[in-house]
Amino acid sequence: MTRFLAVRLGLLVPTLFGVLVVAFLLLYVAPGDPVLAMVGERADPETITRLRRELHLDEPLPAQFALYLKDVVRGDLGTSYVTRRPILTELLQRFPATLRLALAAMAVAATLGLAVGIQGAWRPGGLVDRAATLGAYLGVSFPVYWVGLVLILVFAVTLRWLPPSGSWGAVYLVLPAVTLGMRSIAVVARMTRAALQEALASDFVRTARAKGLGEARVVLRHGLPNALLPVITVLGLDFGSYLTGSILTETIFSWPGVGRYVLTAIEKRDLPAVQGSILFLSVVFVFVNLLTDLAYAKADPRVAHG
Amino acid sequence: MRLPLLSALVVLAACGGTGPSRTLEYYFTYDPRSLDPAFSTDVPTGEVAALLFDTLTEFDADGRLVPGLATRWSVDATGRTYTFHLRADATFHDGRPVRAADVAASYRRVLDQSLLGGRPWPLFPILGARAFNAGEAREVAGIAVPDDSTIVLTLEEPLNIFPKLLAMPATAIVPTPVPEGFDQAPVGSGPWRFVSWSHDDAIVLARNPRWWGGAPAADSLRIRIIPEPLTQAAEYERGGLSVVEIPFGETRRWEARHGPELQRRPTIRDLYIAINTARGPLADVRVRRALNHAVDVGALLETVMAGRGARARGAIPPGIAGYDAARAPYAYDPALARRLLAEAGVRPGLALRLWRSQRPEYARIAQAVQQDLAQVGIQVEIVQRDASSARAAVRKGEADLFLTDWYADYPDPENFTFPLFHSRNAGTGGNYAFLKDPRVDSLAVRLRTTPDEAEKERLARETDARIFDLAPWIFLWHPVDLWAEHPRVTGWRIPAIFNGQRWTGVRILPEETPAR
Repeated sequence: MTRFLAVRLGLLVPTLFGVLVVAFLLLYVAPGDPVLAMVGERADPETITRLRRELHLDEPLPAQFALYLKDVVRGDLGTSYVTRRPILTELLQRFPATLRLALAAMAVAATLGLAVGIQGAWRPGGLVDRAATLGAYLGVSFPVYWVGLVLILVFAVTLRWLPPSGSWGAVYLVLPAVTLGMRSIAVVARMTRAALQEALASDFVRTARAKGLGEARVVLRHGLPNALLPVITVLGLDFGSYLTGSILTETIFSWPGVGRYVLTAIEKRDLPAVQGSILFLSVVFVFVNLLTDLAYAKADPRVAHG
Repeated sequence: MRLPLLSALVVLAACGGTGPSRTLEYYFTYDPRSLDPAFSTDVPTGEVAALLFDTLTEFDADGRLVPGLATRWSVDATGRTYTFHLRADATFHDGRPVRAADVAASYRRVLDQSLLGGRPWPLFPILGARAFNAGEAREVAGIAVPDDSTIVLTLEEPLNIFPKLLAMPATAIVPTPVPEGFDQAPVGSGPWRFVSWSHDDAIVLARNPRWWGGAPAADSLRIRIIPEPLTQAAEYERGGLSVVEIPFGETRRWEARHGPELQRRPTIRDLYIAINTARGPLADVRVRRALNHAVDVGALLETVMAGRGARARGAIPPGIAGYDAARAPYAYDPALARRLLAEAGVRPGLALRLWRSQRPEYARIAQAVQQDLAQVGIQVEIVQRDASSARAAVRKGEADLFLTDWYADYPDPENFTFPLFHSRNAGTGGNYAFLKDPRVDSLAVRLRTTPDEAEKERLARETDARIFDLAPWIFLWHPVDLWAEHPRVTGWRIPAIFNGQRWTGVRILPEETPAR
């Protein structure tokens, strides 16, 4: 297990360096002038020229990259061109909101997804199973944006049960968490159903049943743990993407998270903020993947030793 | 047992009649970049600065220039020296009085080059301001403070719009020295005090009971950050927003459902297609007029904008001195357009590239223009980029046509004629048509220097007529703003200029009174 961890950690360094290079180059390939975005449309040419000089934007690319790398290694993601604040501070301020939303979405996805999946595997072809399968197809197919707006129209405007936007307590979390978790509910349910069905058809389950164990115990104790592996992978990957890419959900529900920050940074050509965000989110994503791998290894010892 | 009951009674008494409902709810679509007015290069920063801070002069909701921290001002016979007299009763939110020295220090601060990425240009007309900004001088020569309540500003050259530049949020007066963390927790002298700012979430302001203009009617003003128009509408419907702007595509629905709550105001804004007058056949004025005759602007306005716009008869919008209601817009006349093109020697099949940014209504406008121009034999390719990329390309002169708009920084004809058409501003400065016309240049300069208001209006009309005749744009329309004010809120009006609404007269109706 220690060796497994060491290898996985060692792989992080080249991965993150690659991310750094790509993040750096991407923004230079993209058209648009960050200085214009910073000082507004009506700045005078002298101000623009001076600013470009002071931000080292007129230096050759390798020199700019060296400057950037030096700062990043010291844990400094730089200062936003637009807000003039340290990027790491801005990201850390917003990260708790994103984490809260991701955890809530995950909880929704895991609970509903597993429940529906287990029910489906246990009573395949039953009413719940058929309804769930249809729901799963729809859940995967509908775009997040549409789902979010429909939920607002139904639950906030028409029924008035829940607030349409904001982030000031648990009730504000419901609609965005369901919107964000929708896709995962569907995937987790289908995954659980398939894996569990397979597990329930295997010899050891037949043995368990033969020994006279109750059906609930067979499914939950013997079937489910063996069906969980693929589900963990899906949940882990989805959780990583929730933490890094809930831009649409955050925008619809005015959720003050990292996704909105990234979007604004891109729209405003805030070069260092975009680069810093990519790097920060990559670290988060890689870290969540590592945790997923560890959970995987824990659930199936063959992974760590293989 | 008695204590909780007592405290409950105290709470009830505190809530009686006024209560927590006296919070006004407004919104921005994105987080301001800063709460330091020196960085007000975007609209949210400028709007919130106008609530927290004062400027020497101000705009009212109708865009008229009115006294701010300066109760009166005068200009000498040369038109270069302005004397401003400050009011005696203005204090910062921390209790310190606002003095002339604060004004001088605030201006120097905005001009200081160490303040990277701010907005110094409104103060550049002051003598020595550019030299100071470039680091070539230690002081701004044109700023003098004879006493605590007087500030004298000498300009490089006469400039009649100067008092209006001092109403822009970037020139707001800040305490000296500015406190630590000022951009996150500002101290101003304006009608609202800063309470909190949770990024991308909400800014909370509280009324300044000592404001010289009279304390705001409501207790607090919360500004939410809500990017999505449908979410804004949902919040409004639930009473979570005091006012909401209606998207163009939603006009008819809101007119039907919320008619009595709606307010309209023609904006001092131009929607136009800049024609690059330096590129190929577009240098010929007949070709540019042909483009204007080829586009059915009236139909476009009706279909895309639900009629929410006033046809442009030049660059100067209604409500601004020099607007000429008698001038007829270019008539939709494809036959005339074809004739003009033929006269100019343009054969059918001329290919032009029309650049636009990603705004949804721009897509439909661009497509309609493309179809109309195809009718007269011009092939238009639409180039869609994000706003910043499109502008960068246009500034370099790479676009034939550019669909864009212009919001006034200050309500004055000069803000339309000079930045948009003077040859000095070709490309980078805002003259995306690259118009270089000696007569427009000379008129535009006279317009900004004459001390005589009547003469200024005459010059504005003449400049605009000349511009209209030269057709450096496909003239489209001046959009009309449409907002809804919640039935339980009263006293809010759409401002003519973005910093003209300070929310002081806006109040929430008590529960017992019927809604408007």
